[in-house]
Amino acid sequence: MTKEILLRLESENQLALDDTQRDEIIAFMDAQGVEFAKLDAIDTENTERMVHVMPILTVVREDVMIKNFTRDELQAGAPETMDGYWQVPRLVE
Amino acid sequence: MKYETVIGLEVHVELATESKIFCSCSAKFGAEQNDHVCPACCGMPGMLPIVNKRVVDLGMTAGMMLNCDINRTTTFDKKSYYYPDLPGSYQTTQWFAPICVNGKVKINTSKGEKFVRIKQIHMEEDAGKLVHDDWTDTSLVDYNRTSVPLIEIVSQPDLSSAEEVLAYLERLRDLLRFAKVSDCRFEQGSMRCDVNLSIRPEGSDKLGVRTEMKNMNSLSAIERAIDYEVARHIDALENHTEELVQETRRWDDVKGKSYSMRTKETAGDYRYFPDPNVMPVVIDDEWFDSIRASLPEFPEVKKAKYTEELGLSEYDADQLTQSRAYCDCFEAALAESGMAKESANWIISDCAKALNRRQETADMLKINGKALGQLIKLVSEDKVGRANAKKILDAMFEEDIDPLAYAEKNGFIVSNDTGAIEAIVKAVVEADPKSVADFKGGKEKALMALFGKCMKELKGNCNPQVLREILIDQINKA
Repeated sequence: MTKEILLRLESENQLALDDTQRDEIIAFMDAQGVEFAKLDAIDTENTERMVHVMPILTVVREDVMIKNFTRDELQAGAPETMDGYWQVPRLVE
Repeated sequence: MKYETVIGLEVHVELATESKIFCSCSAKFGAEQNDHVCPACCGMPGMLPIVNKRVVDLGMTAGMMLNCDINRTTTFDKKSYYYPDLPGSYQTTQWFAPICVNGKVKINTSKGEKFVRIKQIHMEEDAGKLVHDDWTDTSLVDYNRTSVPLIEIVSQPDLSSAEEVLAYLERLRDLLRFAKVSDCRFEQGSMRCDVNLSIRPEGSDKLGVRTEMKNMNSLSAIERAIDYEVARHIDALENHTEELVQETRRWDDVKGKSYSMRTKETAGDYRYFPDPNVMPVVIDDEWFDSIRASLPEFPEVKKAKYTEELGLSEYDADQLTQSRAYCDCFEAALAESGMAKESANWIISDCAKALNRRQETADMLKINGKALGQLIKLVSEDKVGRANAKKILDAMFEEDIDPLAYAEKNGFIVSNDTGAIEAIVKAVVEADPKSVADFKGGKEKALMALFGKCMKELKGNCNPQVLREILIDQINKA
């Protein structure tokens, strides 16, 4: 972890950390990096990828449309709505 | 220096399902905002996705149509992406074990035939839609499209011109429509593509800097965007007008220019990992075989059968095989009537006109093919006149009717009562001595005028040949 990466993650997640918090996080992540390096050193070339911790498969459902909720019910807890839309801070790409 | 263009496409196709991929909300286009939503597709905590079997069916179908290998154990993964059109801050997609891999599609261009390799097809959920509101300076979110099922068809970088790209997209569209995987309507966004493009010196095996143009949804815009990007890349390399960087660009079709949106993310940025909420999907032999058995013949196979075995012209066969609905209707009508040419004519002429009047496409033809065959027989046996048969066809577009019963109910059965026909014809001839004189004077058109009047009086319920003979006989007597 570098300070540059951390600053980018802060920006992406709209966080505001101070330098002490940043130093703590960088130290913590560096320690994790040491542990991950040990895992990376293991040869997993012929090891089957674990998809899920339990050996179970999915269930599938038939393609049937069912309307269970109204828009008003779903937006009842929304901080802001407008004309049936959820309203969020403006985003510009 | 001469350059060659290297293009790979990521084509998103919305699947023809009733409900979404992981919940039972409607997947239909065009509802009021946030009318097709539930806690699952709104990303509310505690909701578990349940896979729609039809999505897997259609994913397999697409793969088989595109000559892919099907992964019999296929898994879903989370793709992290922070944007409010994805309510969970991730998209459920397939990264590690997509449903289809290693396919190929044959295309035809002015340079001949070519195979385009398919790297993979994966199933995933669509994102929602954002509307930016200038008045309130906020963004408005509509989750109707969230979790609508998609497949993404990823090609290898085997395409080298706009012409090849268009041929590839048209071929994909034809095959997927034929297999009823999707309606593939660019204008509604049910087919859209990302164009990855780079150029390199001719003969080089090293790829150049790649740019991606996202969400292109019109064939003409794609063609213009590719031509523009190729020129921009060459200009940058030869004249150093700008530094090419790997990035995502937006195509503005009105201005005819592309604009940088953001530097291109890499797979690492998305932090893919197996979705613990969706277990692996295992496709057993029975499931696999049932999809294999349901595949339609390829359009070109049907075309060969129609021309070689049924004697249709190339044109008629081309027209019919543009749509699976046309083919299904034609084959049912043929089975009932035994008349290939007549069945083809009714579909590519009369049905096509009726669809056009209703502002519907060929894929939307839903009339009963067997009933159309019965109608064709009624016409060929002179039981119903052609004009009235068209009225019956119009009624068939509204509801599933028995053509004979409808003809009887509406007085469309051709009369065999020659005495009654003669009486009507005699009255028409006596009422129009000028046309009679004109015809006797050599004006053929006058006969047609009288013929039309007689047919109108008979409400179309007369064999045209019989009517013509009686009419000439009455004129001669006049």
